[in-house]
Amino acid sequence: MTHDLAPQLFNGLVLGAFYGIVAIGLSLIMNLTGTINMAHGSFMTLAGYLAYTMVQRGMSFWVALIVAPLIVVIVGVLVERGLVRPLYKREPFYSLLMTFGLSLMAEEAFRLIWGPNGVPFSPPPALAGAAALGFMSFPTFRIFIAGVLIVAIVALALFLTRTRFGLRLRAAVQDTEMIAALGTNTQVLYAVNFGLGILLAGIAGVLAAGMLGLSPTSGNALLMPAFVTVIIGGMGSLFGSIVGGLLIGMAISLTTLFIPAASEVAMYILMAIVLLVRPRGLFGEEGIFG
Amino acid sequence: MKARAELIAGGVVVAILAAGPYLSPLIHVDLSIVSEVLVTALAVMSVNLLLGYTGLPAFGNAAYFGLGAYGAALSAKYLHVDFIGAVIIGTASALLGGLILAPFLLRRRGIYFGLLSIAFGQVFYFVAYRFTDVTGGEDGMNFPRPLVLGHYAINETVFFYVALAAFVGCLIAFRTVVRSPFGRTLVAIRQNEARVRYLGLNTDRFIFVALLISATLAGLGGALFGLLINFAYPLELDWHQSGFFVLMMILGGAGTVWGSLVGSFIYVIGKDIISTQTSYWQLYLGGLFVACVLAFPRGILGTLLARLKARPAAADSEPHG
Repeated sequence: MTHDLAPQLFNGLVLGAFYGIVAIGLSLIMNLTGTINMAHGSFMTLAGYLAYTMVQRGMSFWVALIVAPLIVVIVGVLVERGLVRPLYKREPFYSLLMTFGLSLMAEEAFRLIWGPNGVPFSPPPALAGAAALGFMSFPTFRIFIAGVLIVAIVALALFLTRTRFGLRLRAAVQDTEMIAALGTNTQVLYAVNFGLGILLAGIAGVLAAGMLGLSPTSGNALLMPAFVTVIIGGMGSLFGSIVGGLLIGMAISLTTLFIPAASEVAMYILMAIVLLVRPRGLFGEEGIFG
Repeated sequence: MKARAELIAGGVVVAILAAGPYLSPLIHVDLSIVSEVLVTALAVMSVNLLLGYTGLPAFGNAAYFGLGAYGAALSAKYLHVDFIGAVIIGTASALLGGLILAPFLLRRRGIYFGLLSIAFGQVFYFVAYRFTDVTGGEDGMNFPRPLVLGHYAINETVFFYVALAAFVGCLIAFRTVVRSPFGRTLVAIRQNEARVRYLGLNTDRFIFVALLISATLAGLGGALFGLLINFAYPLELDWHQSGFFVLMMILGGAGTVWGSLVGSFIYVIGKDIISTQTSYWQLYLGGLFVACVLAFPRGILGTLLARLKARPAAADSEPHG
């Protein structure tokens, strides 16, 4: 069993990176507007299906990997402007209900358009097969996924810390009224921030479709681990989401190896332990949502 | 005067409900569906106490509901307890679940509370889903409806009156609780928790008790639901179900005593009717969420009551009572 350990651990890391990136998207939206985006998984699924259709129509995987998330961002921003924005001034659970309703509709729409069962979506030939990593061999596509996710996270971190816009975004999380009073158009911030979260979901959605399969509910399957990731990592912390995601990924893959029946429950146990020791999560910031 | 109006209106509603076995054939609805309305209303009430009154986004109450159903199902199947025993064990399982989760949930407020409720509630889903040998896993578990005291069988009509009695009893208890100083404090916590704390009240303790009452109510609803359909399945515990309870609460009217019945009635009957007409029930359900949030944030009863309240005080300039 130990010779399975290294690949399984690496698997856990890739899986964890997914949870991390989905959690970062959720976190961005949650921190600024208090919206728990229950439709996050649906945006992932949508990106996956769009990429699938593009590849079916003869487009290259690389084009689909870029275009599908961008289309989903447009859909996401439209949803935010049209349906979620009117709820910002109300209690936050209204936007949760709204996005929940949207995810129900989306799931049914996927079923109508692309069929109730999963569709095969395989990575391009260049990424098929396995690469030897010295002590073990590992599917090339998963290594590629790890690379893309790392690039995306680094790019986001640079955007948030090195650009004026990112600075404003972080300032708005601290005090939206103040940043508005200082002359920043907060509506633009909201829209871009939502789009950013959806962009991460879209990229993750296309990659996840290739690795974990694509069905009307496949994106939603990543939603719950992402919630747990946010809780473990701590709200308001990008770094926390990454660490939390990797921790959960490892926990899940290790329990899958040793106690398969407990694989889903493992992350909740991890969450309970973290909360007992650190109620705000590992890197949670003081004062964000009580 | 107002209390008397409510008493009369409530009496009329209960009288109409009591005639359910005769009325339900007229609208082509199975009597068991009306029973489902009543037991579901208990779960909606449990959400209402936390979200409608205390302002805590209770997005995990399906866990207690499902624990009630599974508690009843498992005890009936494996311990061969009678009907009353199954109800008690089911409700107690939910209370126990509440006792386990409360220390975690109590730590946070606002959307973080919602997030924790969703996440922790999901544990029970996976337990039911995974322990296939005991719970039947994804397929759920069948069990025969136990007899009362091992002797008296409960048919659909009798079950309906059991459900009605449970509903009326819980409604009265619920009304008493929310109008008591305890209930007033919960509302105060929703409006401004910091201020309540400054007044010297330990708000954690109030929320703890509210959580346990909520879990018990949802558990009773779940136990009766399990006994109604003689079946328990993991989706009862899933966060989707929690969301449906919240939708019903909003639909009826958050923070209104009777709203739970209104919401549960519309949802359960609507689902029964629409799902026989179309296989895309979920599409309509999602649309209902969207429409309800955008157009009816105060719910049907909430809007009606606000209208009634606004009429005598029309000159009053306060926009929302």
